Amino acid sequence: MTSTADIDAAASPRENTRFKDKKGETVISVSGLTPGAARYSRLFDVLVVAAVVTIFGGAIHLHVMLTVGDWDMYVDWKDRQYWPLVMPVSMIMFPAALQAIFWVNFRLPIGATVGATALLIATWIGRYANWWIWTGFPFTEGVPSQALAGALLMDMTLIVLRNSLFTSIIGGFAFGFVFWPSNYSALAPFYLPVEHQGMVASLADMIGYTFPRSNMPEYLRIIERGTLRTFGSSVSWVSAAFAGFICIFMHQLWWRLGLFASQATFLKNSDVVKSFMGIKSSVAS
Amino acid sequence: MSGDALPRMANVTVIKTFDIHCGLFAFTMVALTILYISARLYQQAFGFSMGLDANSPEFDRYWMTLFRIELPVLYGAGVLCWSYLFLTRDRSIETVTPETELRRYFYLTMWLVVYSFCIFWTGSFFADGDGVWHQTTLRDTPLTPSHIILFYATIPIYLFFGVGSFVYAMTRIPAFCRGVSLMHAIAVVGPFLILPNLGFNEWGHAYWLTEEIFSHPLHWGFVVLGWCALALAGVLMQIVERFRELIPLVFKQDAAGSPTDANPFRDAWEKCGPEAQRQRYKPTSVSGRRPISGKSK
Amino acid sequence: MLLKLIKFAAVCVAFIAGVSHAAAHGERAQEPYLRTRTVQFYDVHFSKTEVKVNERFELTGKFRLMQDWPDAVTPPDIVFVSSISPGPTIARIETYLNGWPARQSFARLELGRDYEFRMVLEGRTPGSSHIHPSISIKGSGPLVGPGQWVNISGEAHSFAFPIKTMTGLQIEDLQTFGLAHAVGWHLAWLAVAAAWLSFWLARPLILPRWLVLQKGREDLLISLRDTGAGIIVSAIVLVMVFGGYVRASAEYPYNVPLQSGLNRVAPLPASPAYAEIKVISATYDVPGRSMRLATQITNKGSEPLSIGELTTANIRFLNQSLPVAMANVDPSYPRDLIARTGLKLSSDTPINPGETREVRVEATDAVWELERLVSFLTDVDSKFGGLLLLYAPNGERVIAEMGGPIVPVFTELK
Repeated sequence: MTSTADIDAAASPRENTRFKDKKGETVISVSGLTPGAARYSRLFDVLVVAAVVTIFGGAIHLHVMLTVGDWDMYVDWKDRQYWPLVMPVSMIMFPAALQAIFWVNFRLPIGATVGATALLIATWIGRYANWWIWTGFPFTEGVPSQALAGALLMDMTLIVLRNSLFTSIIGGFAFGFVFWPSNYSALAPFYLPVEHQGMVASLADMIGYTFPRSNMPEYLRIIERGTLRTFGSSVSWVSAAFAGFICIFMHQLWWRLGLFASQATFLKNSDVVKSFMGIKSSVAS
Repeated sequence: MSGDALPRMANVTVIKTFDIHCGLFAFTMVALTILYISARLYQQAFGFSMGLDANSPEFDRYWMTLFRIELPVLYGAGVLCWSYLFLTRDRSIETVTPETELRRYFYLTMWLVVYSFCIFWTGSFFADGDGVWHQTTLRDTPLTPSHIILFYATIPIYLFFGVGSFVYAMTRIPAFCRGVSLMHAIAVVGPFLILPNLGFNEWGHAYWLTEEIFSHPLHWGFVVLGWCALALAGVLMQIVERFRELIPLVFKQDAAGSPTDANPFRDAWEKCGPEAQRQRYKPTSVSGRRPISGKSK
Repeated sequence: MLLKLIKFAAVCVAFIAGVSHAAAHGERAQEPYLRTRTVQFYDVHFSKTEVKVNERFELTGKFRLMQDWPDAVTPPDIVFVSSISPGPTIARIETYLNGWPARQSFARLELGRDYEFRMVLEGRTPGSSHIHPSISIKGSGPLVGPGQWVNISGEAHSFAFPIKTMTGLQIEDLQTFGLAHAVGWHLAWLAVAAAWLSFWLARPLILPRWLVLQKGREDLLISLRDTGAGIIVSAIVLVMVFGGYVRASAEYPYNVPLQSGLNRVAPLPASPAYAEIKVISATYDVPGRSMRLATQITNKGSEPLSIGELTTANIRFLNQSLPVAMANVDPSYPRDLIARTGLKLSSDTPINPGETREVRVEATDAVWELERLVSFLTDVDSKFGGLLLLYAPNGERVIAEMGGPIVPVFTELK
């Protein structure tokens, strides 16, 4: 009879595996999978990756579209008060749950990045195939936001701290906070000022005005109406910080939802249904 | 296609092969891709030209005809498929060989991949198309070139595969027959409920919401039901937990027969006995949660 | 290339099927009371109906906000002047309401008053586009004016929208400016994400990792090297985020926020209430497709008045025996919205100043059905509304509101 120490010793010294297990041989070996089983396990990996990318591309895009989609769909909704606030709060939900699923069960620090990547790719496919090819809206009108910067930081926080609470506090905050600067870098040209009909407008306003949307009148925009010029007029940073604050709680909430979703719970099935498949009730009980 | 091959494999000492047929899976994926792209091309051709006014005769000809065809065909195909799966069920599910059971787990995974693929086209691609369509027309009737594809074609298609995966699992996989997988049920029922939730959506639009704000709470029913996609994680856990038990049985010749497959850890693990194994089988969650295991075992 | 292929396929399908075009944008699904008792458009004029890509044309007209505004419709407290088109087939250059710039919305328009709009538009997508003026009212949605076909000729790719910024930058095309910059950033982020994901996906994934974790060997799954990689990626991300922000701020120092807020505009001067109309009874003959009104008209002005036109929901019933009324029809006005049979009156002589006369008015045409304006059976508020246009001998036009309850008649009237 061997002890647990022997198991550890047999699994080759930790110092070695930490740096040399590039191809994952040790992981396969320790997992107990034979080379044949490992091959099928890889097929299973491929299927899981395909499912994850497609279902979360669909589900996250739907989620974002119907919670904060207007801010994402139109360049002239990307204001300083609401856009940096509502977008990350919505965008963090699925990535946080995916983080929990992938980390807790598989120790993969990629959940948030997977979610944000699937979302961005799905969004661009839609913009191209629908907004441009179908109805001919220029890309500039529908240029989306991205959450990759925040998602990457969240995954990095997780791998370094390895703790869901601190990932919420630091990673979740970072997710919300960096949304504004990381997207502003990409969209800054759209805020150049122009004069139109004797009034000031940003290029984004002009794009939304020039290419008419029949069912999106100007007044529908829920955009900045603030009056207080705080922190030397850097109002966006206040929104970013507020978004970070809310994202802390959102992350923890959705982390737990991810844990809940990964329960392998079976409820008792009806004896009648089981009997169709040849399971006698006495056997089943 | 079952474990009949097992005895013949008994003397094999090289890496075990294990047949999984991906042909139907690949065919389905290709066929669905063609179907979805065709639907989109139909929208491109007749969306603006025939679809702007639901009261016009050309709308009736090009769009309502499609609507009248697709509803019975797609739901009919679903009912046929689910009935076929049920009628060809495994009538002695508990005596299934490990090899067959493992293979069926792979096929269940393929069902779920196709289901996920359909969710992408519905939740992202065509839903996004619906968003843009609302910018080209006033609020029309519930039947528009966008809704006729999104709500009445792509939703029945994902129901086909969602419910199909559920029936497949229940009629062929012992664990999914003995117990109802809670998360599998949620992952199928949630997106299914998007269809009846349309009633709420159209009610709101008919009576008090005449303008299209996507982020309006009226649409959040779809959102909450979309969250159910997360529940596939639970199904994944159920699959891997069963894999842990099945794989050593199916690939045991591999382990026993291959001299090159030296695995000191596994040997040590197997020798150490249940008590020591239990000690090493410790909680793994960062939040202190114990590893989850199937409760029906 | 893909775009061309898809467009080619779509054109082929359309060609085979022999496509013609629809001329409405869903407004027929709006309830009759929404269309007959809210905004009445008149004097709508399209300066051109044949334009080239990048060629400008004007859409002008007036509208009256009806006094008998339905309860179910939000009052016009927030209003946007717009146009309806099948996608952005036209570009909007300038819009005005009573001479005020109308890029933003307006607050609190007054019921019972008239407003004048002017839109300068430009052809963008070649083909035939059905264009309507529209007045969007918050809470009620777009209420559309008469639509007209505008044929746009030329090449789609030749459309460009140049604009000069206040910082002196000349932008070649508003459709593409800034796009490469934004897409470049998105690709950069995707590249970092792809690198991080491949770093993990290349390893044994789901089952082996779970099994190893169950055996308590987390140390095999996340190594120091991985943590180090995480720290390096964090540093890269932070440099990209804040470096990018500092650079963008330096590059675009004079950026402005999105412009919002409501404008206020005074209505057109009220025309003297020369004519007062009281609807005594109104019926709609369903099988005969005829609206019959018994009205009492009082001329309070100093000139005799002749009834020239009844207009509601953009449909015009003209008194064909009154030349001045016929001359008031703009050649660009859509013919399908002008009733062929015109307006029939029980008394066609001018109403003298001070006189009160009972006049029976009959407006018969299949257009009631076509425009779905007669669904009184399903309507919760069975009232109608419209404008009656009366003319003095000197050509002066008096616009009077009329409206009231209407009773559908389902059997043929004798």
